[in-house]
Amino acid sequence: MWYFTWILGVLLACSFGIVNALWLEHCGCLDDDPADD
Amino acid sequence: MADFFAFLLSYETLRVIWWLFIGILLIGFAITDGFDLGVGTLLPFLGRNDEERRVIINVVGPTWEGNQVWFILGGGAVFAAWPPVYATAFSGFFIALILTLFAMILRPVGFDYRSKLPNPSWRKFWDWGLFVGGAVPALVFGVAFGNLLLGVPFHFDADLRAYYTGGFLGLLNPFGLLAGIVSLSMLVMHGAVYLQLRTEGEIQQRARWTVTLATLLFLVAFALAGVWMLFWVDGYRLESFAGTAAPSNPLAKTVVRDNGALLARYAQYPWMLVAPCMGFGGAILAWLSSLSRRPGFGFIASSLALAGVILTAGFSLFPFIMPSSSDPNSSLTVWDATSSHLTLKWMFGVTLVFLPIVLAYTTWVFGKLRGTVTVAQVRAADKVMY
Amino acid sequence: MISETLIELSRLQFALTAMYHFLFVPLTLGLSFLLAIMESVYVMTGKTVYQDMVRFWGKLFGINFALGVATGITMEFQFGTNWAYYSHYVGDIFGTPLAIEGLMAFFLESTFIGLFFFGWDRLSKVQHLVVTWLVALGSNLSALWILIANGWMQNPVGTVFNPETMRMEMTSFGELLFNPVAQVKFVHTVSAGYVTGAVFVLAISAWYLLKGRDLSFARRSFAIATAFGLASTLSVITLGDESGYELGDVQKVKLAAIEAMWETEPAPASFTLFGFPDDETMTTERQLRIPYLLGLIATRSIDTPVVGLKELIIRNEARVRRGMKSYAALEQWRAGARDDATRAQLLEAHDDLGYALLLKRYAPRVLDASEEQIKQAARDTIPKVAPLFWSFRLMVGFGMWMLLLFALSFYYCARRQAGHKRWLLWAAVCSLPLPWLSSELGWFVAEYGRQPWTVSGMLPTRLSTSTLSVGQVTFSLSGFVLFYSALLIVELFLMIKYARLGPSSLGTGRYHFENGGPAPATPHAATLP
Ligand code: HDD
Ligand code: HEM
Ligand code: HEM
Repeated sequence: MWYFTWILGVLLACSFGIVNALWLEHCGCLDDDPADD
Repeated sequence: MADFFAFLLSYETLRVIWWLFIGILLIGFAITDGFDLGVGTLLPFLGRNDEERRVIINVVGPTWEGNQVWFILGGGAVFAAWPPVYATAFSGFFIALILTLFAMILRPVGFDYRSKLPNPSWRKFWDWGLFVGGAVPALVFGVAFGNLLLGVPFHFDADLRAYYTGGFLGLLNPFGLLAGIVSLSMLVMHGAVYLQLRTEGEIQQRARWTVTLATLLFLVAFALAGVWMLFWVDGYRLESFAGTAAPSNPLAKTVVRDNGALLARYAQYPWMLVAPCMGFGGAILAWLSSLSRRPGFGFIASSLALAGVILTAGFSLFPFIMPSSSDPNSSLTVWDATSSHLTLKWMFGVTLVFLPIVLAYTTWVFGKLRGTVTVAQVRAADKVMY
Repeated sequence: MISETLIELSRLQFALTAMYHFLFVPLTLGLSFLLAIMESVYVMTGKTVYQDMVRFWGKLFGINFALGVATGITMEFQFGTNWAYYSHYVGDIFGTPLAIEGLMAFFLESTFIGLFFFGWDRLSKVQHLVVTWLVALGSNLSALWILIANGWMQNPVGTVFNPETMRMEMTSFGELLFNPVAQVKFVHTVSAGYVTGAVFVLAISAWYLLKGRDLSFARRSFAIATAFGLASTLSVITLGDESGYELGDVQKVKLAAIEAMWETEPAPASFTLFGFPDDETMTTERQLRIPYLLGLIATRSIDTPVVGLKELIIRNEARVRRGMKSYAALEQWRAGARDDATRAQLLEAHDDLGYALLLKRYAPRVLDASEEQIKQAARDTIPKVAPLFWSFRLMVGFGMWMLLLFALSFYYCARRQAGHKRWLLWAAVCSLPLPWLSSELGWFVAEYGRQPWTVSGMLPTRLSTSTLSVGQVTFSLSGFVLFYSALLIVELFLMIKYARLGPSSLGTGRYHFENGGPAPATPHAATLP
């Protein structure tokens, strides 16, 4: 059932995106550059 | 109960139900996207400067896209429920439809791109683009319906391949053009009422006068078209056919053209007069409400008028969908131009489930976006609004 | 009857408008989910920069969406205008998913898109988030239904010919819905969309990073794009492979053509990595071959042979002959022999009725076709090999490249070094056109590879057109070319302008051009609405 795979897959891909952002946010990797705007 | 379902899901009933559904879709399109088309037509005339025009655009800006889906769905539903009609009408009215598509393509781009650059000529260009995108479809739909009422020249060969022999200019006959004016004036009326409802001050005042003008034009044109149809347009009559539950083959019947067919039909079923009465009554009511500054009520009334006009066309044709003037036996009717029984059943089920859902969230969205649009708002939200 | 020119022009118009529509579709599919991701992070962390991201990428989304809708309207009506016989012949099945698409998907995406743009002040944070997700869901559902329709054209299931109505009719809605080809097509195509969205955000953010502007905005966008993109590229490749597998099952001709397999090879077949296929001699020159690989891909086994084109032509000749039997019964039926025996004879070989229709090109009455004509019709079932062979390899190559790109970006992003790897950032910027190219190539493979059929084995393309004049189609085609080119220029102009302005276009006062950055190259930009 590829439709079912799609539902799981797309949720997985989205959570992957969300988690990546949250994780980098958490370790402060996104703001550390002093040359920031 | 079982009997009722058997009746409801019989081929014959479903064919009538789908005739109704397509009618409802058309009415839904006229009521929702109809005011967008009307507002687009009025844009260059009622907005005197850039800010006023932005007000007008933003009155419909957030919702026109969803409204347009009624049109798209109309195409899809005719395809699914009446494939021969989809094939014959769209290839027959080829040039007219292509021009309409070009006009309609201007709308998404016009709404979205117009205010993204400050250049005045750029904006003016798209204002006229939105005008074309509103007026041309409004006119063409009327012309197309007018021609359907007259009958159009086409026939089928033994493989059921359709041949249309009319050409583009053939559509632009006097009755067709009159029907075009009916539809344009009615949508302009509808759009003006909506503008009156959602704007303030001068624009609102101008919209109010436009309602008066458009309604008068509409009433005259609609009355004229009615008289013309009753007395001078040949109606079509089914002499014999394979039956209401027979397989869909448009070649299995005989049809005659008959000058008195329409009068006879309304005499036989006087209740059908409800439709034209709704057309006239709704428009008059819309006009009075607009004059007395109650555009909310006016909007309901003009919606009623739209529904009346479309039903009038439908009733006058039933059971025909697309009569053929050159070979009446090839005419497409509700009984021989539908999909198979199974397809109609599935589509019926899907519509029953999804149409209410669509109506529910559309209502919710309109509720969230209600209120008037003003020049001050446009100024404050310069970068957000269209 | 129907002239060669009319058919060519109609095909050209369909190909052009469809490929043009698909320039905008994949970005809508992918970016809508990226917006939903960004807004979810905004709601979770409450950081304004994420809201700015949704708004800025949303602006670009809107510019693209407008043309997606504009070109989609054409598509919806084009089956009727230009493919009237097709619409009559298979509308009973094909129209259904199209109508459901409107009802279930277009209403959803188009109703909520207005609220997405104009509802920020009228909705709570969570309500707006839900709206964004619904837009994404709507656009993906629309892909679902149209690809069910297209999947049916590739692999027409749940259908029977009805001589009384002279058309194909649906026998099972379930089969239409769960058509295996439609399923893999859907997942492969939407994944292609996600890749497109991810590359778009990745490339533009990389460009900001290279320019050293709006860094915190760009880094966050970059990070989200890498993660989402990595997952999507992995899935587009796996599912592309699955498409190949499904092809092996139902469209042997297409598979053999893509692989330039002229001869049937003993299992497991080897895979031609490279070579120059020649349609005339039916050979491939200077080929580079990898043993066993194709057999594994196409059959998932080591003992099932993959059938070559030459053998397929022979098989198809037999199908033409079988189809003629069915056609003969149809003629009897039409002549008035409406008995069960005739019907049974018609239906017995009705799977191959379409193959008999191929003969119409040479012998309008079909049954009086000569041996030579039957052979020619069988030969016609093979599309040109070289274009398919090359398009497919390019698509796959781009896919591999993008996988590498996302893998590296993700790796360096996790090690916080992405911003300093200038070569990587440049690679990202340069990869911007690749997902679009891949998608167009993919559609070319799928659609051109299906020729000479509009509906595989059922309805030849040549018979599908409307009875229009060449003049009419010339008019519409040139109109589309002119009009669409103008629109594309306008779209690209706006897209580039807003991409260069970046988040400064939001007018929040927080970004590059608004606080001391040099004025952008384009005039008027500072006062942009
Ligand atoms: C895989 C996805 C896909 C494919 C193959 C197609 N479309 Fe499409 N279409 C979309 C995915 C999409 C979308 C993502 O939903 C769009 C694109 C951008 C957009 O605004 O919505 C859209 C818009 C769109 C619209 C406007 C919808 C609206 O107002 O919301 C119509 C009428 C169509 N399409 C019709 C078609 C037809 C008849 C196609 C087949 C020939 C077709 N599309 C191929
Ligand atoms: C948007 C993505 C699509 C692209 C880029 C695309 C591309 C093409 C191309 C290149 C052709 C021409 C093939 C040729 O004549 O050599 C074609 C033909 C055609 N495609 Fe597609 N296609 C798309 C989606 C679809 C879908 C979703 C359907 C049906 C639902 C469809 C139905 C057809 C039909 C009816 C033809 C005309 C007959 C023909 O020439 O083959 N296409 N398409
Ligand atoms: C790298 C491995 C890939 C493989 C093995 C692969 C395989 C395939 C195959 C076999 C088809 C033809 C399906 C048919 O004819 O019905 C196809 C079509 C397609 N491909 Fe790919 N592909 C790959 C990568 C990509 C990439 C990277 C993209 C775009 C980002 C893409 C976009 C498409 C599209 C839009 C289609 C047409 C829709 C369809 O038929 O599914 N593909 N692919």
